[in-house]
Amino acid sequence: MRILCLLLACLLSGCATPYRTVVQFDRLSACPRYTANGLNARQNDLGPASETHALECALSFLRGSQDKLLRRSALGSRLCLHLAERSTDAGKREALAWEGVRFAESALALGAESDGLVHYYLATNLALAVRDHLSLAMENLARLEGEMKRAVALKPDVDGGGPLRLLGMLYLKAPAWPAGIGDGDKALELLKRAVESHPGHPLNHLFYAQALWEMEESSAAERVKMEMSTGMKLLQEGHWGYNKAPWDKEFSAFQKEIGDSGP
Amino acid sequence: MTNTKTRLILALAGWLASFMTAGAAAPSPLVVCYPGGAVNEQDAKGAMDAMLRVVERVGQWPQNSFTSLFSAKAAECRQLLAENKPSFAITSLGLYLELHDQNNLVPLVQPRIDGRASERYRVVVQKGKFKTLDELKGKSLGGTVLEEPQFTGRIVFAGKVDPAGFFVLKPSKQAIRALRALDKGEIDAVILNEQQYSALASLALTNPLEALFTSEEIPLMGVVADSKTSTAEERARFAKALEGMCSDPEGKKLCDLFGIRAFAVADPAVFEPMLRQWNGRN
Repeated sequence: MRILCLLLACLLSGCATPYRTVVQFDRLSACPRYTANGLNARQNDLGPASETHALECALSFLRGSQDKLLRRSALGSRLCLHLAERSTDAGKREALAWEGVRFAESALALGAESDGLVHYYLATNLALAVRDHLSLAMENLARLEGEMKRAVALKPDVDGGGPLRLLGMLYLKAPAWPAGIGDGDKALELLKRAVESHPGHPLNHLFYAQALWEMEESSAAERVKMEMSTGMKLLQEGHWGYNKAPWDKEFSAFQKEIGDSGP
Repeated sequence: MTNTKTRLILALAGWLASFMTAGAAAPSPLVVCYPGGAVNEQDAKGAMDAMLRVVERVGQWPQNSFTSLFSAKAAECRQLLAENKPSFAITSLGLYLELHDQNNLVPLVQPRIDGRASERYRVVVQKGKFKTLDELKGKSLGGTVLEEPQFTGRIVFAGKVDPAGFFVLKPSKQAIRALRALDKGEIDAVILNEQQYSALASLALTNPLEALFTSEEIPLMGVVADSKTSTAEERARFAKALEGMCSDPEGKKLCDLFGIRAFAVADPAVFEPMLRQWNGRN
């Protein structure tokens, strides 16, 4: 029992080897033959709309590559995030997200400090890795905030305002002052900025609606209704690849949460 | 309530549920009430579930043996307690006092934060703007504790001020929002609990603040039990388990995270003056 407790304590403090787990993929023999230059050239083709197998192939290649240009980029971290978000297995999801963190850390060590994408994907992977572990999430709040702030400062417009969206949600969900960094005003400000600067991204509208609902409640009902309507329309009409289904669930969950008292 | 208390609640939820359901066939609900808190049920549920899973692993109980029910709305809390009749619950002091007779509630444990098991509430204003509490009559009052106006009136103001009639109430889900509004002159006063008041120096406010009113010492509320649906033995076991929580390796990690030094068995006598005050017998 005592050993189990110690193991758990270690696990929750982020020191345990499970975070070093590498998820293995099938059908790698069917992968295209990559070169570092080739993958580097077409890295923008790999995204939410890509087949999972294509992402796995690219990630497998990256795992074995020592190409500095690739290793210094956000690609490895981004691939891990896409794969982690698609995984229905919590263990695999967390392992992939932690791998995404390690890819970003490695990129930073190779000199990517001024690359906002690397900070952004480090933060998104870290957030995904710790989200189901309360104490671990609390321990990493400051780091999450720091990485997200760097991403906002360096690359606020990437991923349809992703850094603004992410930092806004961190301020919305984290424990508020005086116990934590949570700050409803900051959340509203960042999420409003995300909506205004990137009105075509459905999650910006959903998250802004959530912030309005949590902070302003019924006094913002009309605005919440408008943001939800805009966001859902964008989601249904846009090409969001594999993200569409989970985002649709998020919209539905929030709609359910606000229920009869909502819009 | 403060956010430290939110986290305390979530920690307690996980810890308690493990003992509640030990040996039981079906999961027992633990009702967790956090009136006025800036936490939605979905997030709280996620956090509590995460806590419960840790406790299950540590205690070697099957996963999903335990469950919890959360609300940040006082009315919903009353409903949850009435419908589920839980043996144990985590409530605010206000709800405990209100439902004490109806739900046969007895205090089990109290947290100790910074060595204290009680706190004082304060009404703060911009320095020099008002001199007495009476001058705030008809003025706006913000804060997170206003979700429970009866508690504020009967306990914090000791029955001498009816907040709803005396002030124009501007409840806020986050103290920092109320304090910014005070700093900008958008509201006239803010009511703060001990933790919020102690942390004022960490805020970069333009105008200095001062306390115009300080309450008497008010006990911190922890875990309560329904004396009819729980046995004395179960209550003793709970209390003992919680007393040992902060010295357990994993429990200590949680206690540290929530800034709690220890949990102590509650002395019902501590709450007697509160009950008398609540019932207007002081």
